[in-house]
Amino acid sequence: MSQSANIQRTKLSRRFSIALAAVLLFGTGLAQEKIEREGYFEVRSASTQATGGVHALDARLQLVLSSEALAALESGVTLTIEMQVQVIRVRRFLVDSVDAELAVRHELEYRPLSQRYIVKNLNSGDQDSFATLYSALNNLGRVQALPVIDDELLLPDREYRLRLRAMLNTQQYPAALRLLFFWRGQWQLQSEWFEWPLER
Amino acid sequence: MAVRTLKRILITLMGVAGVTLVLGALFLLSKMVQKSDDFDRLQDVILATNIAGGVILLLILIGNLWRLFHDYRESVPGAKLKARMVGMFVGLAVLPLIVVFYFSVQFINRGIDSWFNVQVEEGLDNALTLSRAAIEFRKRLHLQAITQIAQKLAVVPDSQLVFELSMLRRESGANEMTLYGNNNRVLATSSDSAGSFPKPLAEEVSLQMRQNRPFVSLEPLSTGSAEIRTAMAFIYRGNRLRESRTVQAHFPVDERLGNMINSVENSYSEYQRLVFFREDLKDLLTITLTFVLLLSLLTAIYGAFVLSRRLVAPIQDLVAGTRAVAMGNFDTRLPTPSRDEIGFLISSFNDMTQRLATARREATLSQALVEAERTNLEVILARLSTGVLALESDLKIRNANQAAGSILGVNLENSAGESIREVAKGVPLLEQFVDVACMHLDAGETEWREQIVLRGEVGRRVLTCACTTLPGDEDNAAGYVIVFDDITALLQAQRDAAWGEVARRLAHEIKNPLTPIQLSAERMRRKYLGTMDEEEAQILDRATHTIVQQVEAMKEMVNAFSDYARAPDMDISRFDLDKLAHEVVDLYRAQESGVEIVLTSDPTMSLVEGDMGRVRQILHNLIRNAVEALEGTPHGRIDVQIAAAEIDEVEMVQLRVEDNGPGFKAGSVSQIFDPYVTTKPKGTGLGLAIVKKLVEEHVGTISAQNRSDGGAMISIRLPLNEAAREMMIARAPRRADKRREQA
Repeated sequence: MSQSANIQRTKLSRRFSIALAAVLLFGTGLAQEKIEREGYFEVRSASTQATGGVHALDARLQLVLSSEALAALESGVTLTIEMQVQVIRVRRFLVDSVDAELAVRHELEYRPLSQRYIVKNLNSGDQDSFATLYSALNNLGRVQALPVIDDELLLPDREYRLRLRAMLNTQQYPAALRLLFFWRGQWQLQSEWFEWPLER
Repeated sequence: MAVRTLKRILITLMGVAGVTLVLGALFLLSKMVQKSDDFDRLQDVILATNIAGGVILLLILIGNLWRLFHDYRESVPGAKLKARMVGMFVGLAVLPLIVVFYFSVQFINRGIDSWFNVQVEEGLDNALTLSRAAIEFRKRLHLQAITQIAQKLAVVPDSQLVFELSMLRRESGANEMTLYGNNNRVLATSSDSAGSFPKPLAEEVSLQMRQNRPFVSLEPLSTGSAEIRTAMAFIYRGNRLRESRTVQAHFPVDERLGNMINSVENSYSEYQRLVFFREDLKDLLTITLTFVLLLSLLTAIYGAFVLSRRLVAPIQDLVAGTRAVAMGNFDTRLPTPSRDEIGFLISSFNDMTQRLATARREATLSQALVEAERTNLEVILARLSTGVLALESDLKIRNANQAAGSILGVNLENSAGESIREVAKGVPLLEQFVDVACMHLDAGETEWREQIVLRGEVGRRVLTCACTTLPGDEDNAAGYVIVFDDITALLQAQRDAAWGEVARRLAHEIKNPLTPIQLSAERMRRKYLGTMDEEEAQILDRATHTIVQQVEAMKEMVNAFSDYARAPDMDISRFDLDKLAHEVVDLYRAQESGVEIVLTSDPTMSLVEGDMGRVRQILHNLIRNAVEALEGTPHGRIDVQIAAAEIDEVEMVQLRVEDNGPGFKAGSVSQIFDPYVTTKPKGTGLGLAIVKKLVEEHVGTISAQNRSDGGAMISIRLPLNEAAREMMIARAPRRADKRREQA
């Protein structure tokens, strides 16, 4: 009983400390809390191939979840991993313009009964299940022949660049939780933009 | 004043802006909780708004605190009261807030913890375990089924594969069954839904098949239901190739069981999610509560400052007003803030200052009136030819007018506060005056009247004095006022008038019998001188000769008196005084009397307007007087000086006759212009009296005094022309004062 009370007190004091820290951060407007991130998203390679007048994307991404995201996943929280592809028209004297944008979202979910990881493509509705998280993330990180844009939609004799990034999307969570995630680096998983010229 | 008001308005606006910003941020946050789509877009705005509002409030509070601290140290009126009120308000606001905050946090923690029950958790775990057991049972059944199907398919010739596979699928109850050959090539497939295309073997299935291990798995479907997927590798023995083949079957889960399994799984997942977010939820609620607490605290403190300022402001105004009144500013009016007790106090203060201002105005007016009266009195006293001397009861001079100083020969106006006895030392006239006054006062006479004769270097001076007591206490007098007038000139005029009357009577009463006396004496001489013997004739001759001679002498004397009394009309003409003086002086030089006469005149002097005959007589009388005075004096010398002078802006001619003779007798200087006063054995005593009369007929002035190096000096001032004469007539009273000053 006393041990339970001690634990309660410890938790309370921890909560007060967090509250105080949050207030200080609110008051002083300091930068976001800097915690060493365990997870990371990275675009290893990306390229396009024109097949039948359509530029299709092949890419390899390394998706490593942070411990907190992993714990959330194991606790039944659905993670949304979004891959953003942008087609940028290079302009000589003006700022480059984003002519087309494609977002591919996948849901990653753990089912406790079947003990399998479900990867669901929110764009197409396709769903696959995997016995391990590794195979699920590996599957997610392998993009093959993803149609990006029809060449007809691009201006002839113009130079284009493509860029790709992956991120952990938290939009499906309640805003209050997202406000909390905002202060926690482990939920801020986002790769740098990976850019390459579009070969036509 | 305007700058201070502007600053106050600015600070108030900042406070309102700060509170509004924070409230706006909270409102946005609340909206985001309900609709979270725009959170990513607005979270920066919310954050910036929060920070801006908080910082503004914080800055205002720091500024207020600093000002309060500064005012407290500088002992600004109302600062201590303000500090106490702020402390009280803050205490009243903070203590309940902290209590509410503490219990709210406790309530949140305990409330959220109460959501998670150990029994519920165990129940869910058990339900999940049971579900798994049920699924495992089904999986084992389907695994056995796929094992038997694999054994059957191991010997089915390729030509019958499709038929056999369809039959086996129907027998086993599978939805879909596919046979894969080498490289996961589909050899045959059977499905209960037409047109479906078999999927290639999943990697994990292939991997397991290569390891020659059966595969069974519960596969959740995108439709929400689930199926059990099984796969088994076997060696095909229908030909000699002995190739490895894999059969994969999808068994549907019973709908009722599937619903139950979904329910258990969803409940378990939901519970796990709640458990996972439990601490986060607590943290979030605590932070929100803390933030609201902080906002409430800041607002409460800001409100405490505003309230205390509003409450203390009238008191500060009152203190400032009281100080202003203490410094003499009675025009201070304070704005009445309300109709409460403080408003009543300020209203009373305003009434008091108004009455004080009215009283001061009346006092100032009265003082001004008194001052005006005093100034008028001073002017009157200054213009008065009568001397007024006010003394304290201890004989210190309280006040004295200019005439008093002039009459007594000392300036008394600057001697206020000094003892009259001290001031009188060394001043003969005042000394005599004080002696007489003290004699009466020492004798206890406070109301007295007396004529005093003062004797000074330039003659005697007759004063009429009247003393009265200033009203004071019952026993002691506040002081004395002595009013005195110089009546020397008046007495002189009375004497002159009397002598004029005497002269007229002499001329009338004495001169008339003289001629019969003389004629009778001459007749007696003619008639009886021849008839008498020699001795008697001699007696008669001597007697008649004496009678005739004395009658002649008496006639001369009577003529002189007649001249003195006679006042013929002035014959004003313009003449050269310098030339006239030379004529007269030359006449006396020609007599060779042994006296040196020196004439100093100004040849450039303009012509004099006057009665030339009278002026000639003045010169004759003065020079003759001097010549007669110098009889018997060796090296006798007479200086006659004639010069033009502007005295008090009046053009005058100054005529001065000096001699080095014996001078006037001491004490007789003031009487030498009286008729029949002479220091010479042969004089009639009318010479200087006539001169004085002639000068006064010219509206001039005459004075006589002894020279310091011996001898007498007579000085005459005559107006140069008619205009100057008119001015002298107009200034006659002032001239009388001037005469006193010169005296």
